Amino acid sequence: MKPLTPPRERVLKFAVSWLLGGLFLWAGSLKILDPKEFATSVANYRLVPYPLINLVAITVPWVEVVAGLFLVLQRWVRASALVMTGMTAAFFVFIVSALARGLNIECGCFGTVGGHNIGLSNLVIDSAMLAMALWLSGGTRHAR
Amino acid sequence: MRSSLQQALLIVLLGLGLGVLFNAASPKGIPFITPPKAPLNPEELITLEQAKEVWQAGATFFLDARAPADFAAGHIANAFNLPADAFEEHWPRIAPMLSVDAPLVIYCDGEECELSHRLKDKLGQAGYRKVKILHNGWTLWHKAGLATQSGSGP
Repeated sequence: MKPLTPPRERVLKFAVSWLLGGLFLWAGSLKILDPKEFATSVANYRLVPYPLINLVAITVPWVEVVAGLFLVLQRWVRASALVMTGMTAAFFVFIVSALARGLNIECGCFGTVGGHNIGLSNLVIDSAMLAMALWLSGGTRHAR
Repeated sequence: MRSSLQQALLIVLLGLGLGVLFNAASPKGIPFITPPKAPLNPEELITLEQAKEVWQAGATFFLDARAPADFAAGHIANAFNLPADAFEEHWPRIAPMLSVDAPLVIYCDGEECELSHRLKDKLGQAGYRKVKILHNGWTLWHKAGLATQSGSGP
């Protein structure tokens, strides 16, 4: 297979980082706007120790926003993609665990947008974001 | 690679710091440590002794609020499974059996289990008022050597 020529790869990386960064910015902002709602979403998974639920709900959206901002601004691309890889991988575990236990809860992934119960579509979206983050964090040629 | 990892750590720390600062300043901020749950209201609880009596009398429905797999592994004899986490899915199967004024006992398992309370709220919304919770029900019941069953049927 012919490898992508560097300029083309750069354009694609740029596009993917805008898409992924934008998604993270959007997801994080929605949660920041309604911390109580997000804390309920976190609690519903019944995976985070009870006293820590609020702290997770307070901090996780801001890590999403900061990482998203770095990616959109094309600064520390690999580092922010690494953070996103870790986060989407953790979300993957949460979603799979909720599906395996048959929990009838909202995903809480993009605030209450969608509003439907957690399902395979959440897993597909998360996997796609995980793949994008992995790809952006893996390349060495344009590492800064 | 090493510097990317350091930068990633910085991004995480920056996010944590901003989150804490923003929450402290925001009017919509929430307590950093999740406040303890409201204490159990004794009026909505039933003791094991009372539960045993109403179970023997046979006029009270017992509802198991746990997930179907836990229910199948063992439950109070003659109890029905109405998982609090999948209420909407299971309710149509259970509802025709229960009149609105039927006395109900609901239970889950463990001191921390909230499923009974969530189920009670949902039943309350559906108009059911005579609902009692047997706190830590499954553990108490089967440790006391009272009648149990396994499998997915009642």
